[in-house]
Amino acid sequence: MKTALLVIPLLLIIVIWVVVSYNSLVRANISADEAFAQIEVQLKRRADLIPNLVESVKGYAAHEKSTLDAVITARAKATSATGVAGVAAADGQLTTALRGLLAVAESYPDLKASTNFLALQEELSTTENKVAFARQFYNDSVRKLNQAVKTFPSSLFVGLAKVSARAFYEVENPTDRNAPQIKF
Amino acid sequence: MSESAGNFRQLQSANRRKTFTLLAAMGALVWAVVFAAMTYLGKSTTAIVPIAVGIALISVWGSYYFSDSLVMTMTGARIIEREDNPTLFNLVEEVCLASGLKLPKVAIVEDTAPNAFATGRNPEHAVIAFTTRILQIMDRDELQGVIAHEMSHVANRDTLVSAVAATTAGAIAILSDMLMRIMFFGGMGDRDDRENNQNPLAIVVSLVVLILAPIAAVLLKTAISRKRESLADATAVAFTRNPAGLRRALEKLQNDTTVVAQKSNAVAHIWIESPLDGKGVSKLFSSHPPLEERIAILRNMEANPL
Repeated sequence: MKTALLVIPLLLIIVIWVVVSYNSLVRANISADEAFAQIEVQLKRRADLIPNLVESVKGYAAHEKSTLDAVITARAKATSATGVAGVAAADGQLTTALRGLLAVAESYPDLKASTNFLALQEELSTTENKVAFARQFYNDSVRKLNQAVKTFPSSLFVGLAKVSARAFYEVENPTDRNAPQIKF
Repeated sequence: MSESAGNFRQLQSANRRKTFTLLAAMGALVWAVVFAAMTYLGKSTTAIVPIAVGIALISVWGSYYFSDSLVMTMTGARIIEREDNPTLFNLVEEVCLASGLKLPKVAIVEDTAPNAFATGRNPEHAVIAFTTRILQIMDRDELQGVIAHEMSHVANRDTLVSAVAATTAGAIAILSDMLMRIMFFGGMGDRDDRENNQNPLAIVVSLVVLILAPIAAVLLKTAISRKRESLADATAVAFTRNPAGLRRALEKLQNDTTVVAQKSNAVAHIWIESPLDGKGVSKLFSSHPPLEERIAILRNMEANPL
């Protein structure tokens, strides 16, 4: 009788602990999935904006062919990319190409003043921010998941919950890389 | 100043810890008041405790549960749709993506002072409101900082935290008020109890506790409110990773001397810049940390990225 009083609560605590750990791992995995889906939604939105943008720039600056082509190629690559690393790489290239296009637009006052272009610019800057925040949220979710997967005691249930550590969404940013090194 | 050191993660956990300590201190204060009452007036006075807590709970619970509609009415805020201000909605959506929160209702308050607030009992009922003036004077990054601060209140459940603080402070106020009245009328025929406990020092201490408790409760309540504001600033940076945006927004608020027309004490604590905390008010009684201090902490975050 006495041992039962001791063993039953102990078993109950262990069962609750297993369930809680298992659920938190599964939940972290699902939120990483959701966060990645959100990146794809935002990338799709950006890809949808680009034809409009290219058209409106063409109207004023048709001879900036190389910049326009760079955007179109990068967009094509981005829409066909798969996997976290592939999507991230294509996303980085498109971001750079778009920056180039907006820099070109700076030297066309008529283009900059057109209401169509202004509306597109607002849409594009909000979409760029949304893409960036979606990436950040994904990376935060992955950090939480990886922490749970790698630290004790939640690491004990990784096999049971069928989850594993994931790769961060890292965008190659050439402008960051070319930043001048300051030496003292 | 220890608060100005560190990045947003350290600041977030520091402010969470401080809120917890302050709420625990409030709990201890309730206990001290009950203990003082028992010492001074006898054990039967404990019967008032559930009454006081009950009154406080009912009065605060209503304003917590219906906070969204109540605050909207008190401030004259009007819900707007996407077509009314697409850029504002774009910015709110950006912060929602950064925070993983649902899109809140967005509202406008017609006012010549720049200010903003968030309310609602949970993220599903959240409303964030902006005065017409703040939308005019802030640029994109600054407004993003302000929205992130408001969404941080939603994420950190600050309507709930302030409701808990208000309930406890209210219960202490009611309790000590009732006990003081009982004292004036010489106790409730509880002489036997009291005779047994005639340590004069204990009686003096109890009296002091009963007199000072309501003030202490108010001080704790405003301290909690200040910690939640600092926490919301840190969480806002966690969302946007851009302390400069919110810092410049606060600087604009600092340089602006206008104050929202509606100065009700009841909703003063919800605005991003308090309409009540003037220069003359002691820091101890204000619901927000001084703007200079908040700006200094944000500047420090700019110097300490991650």
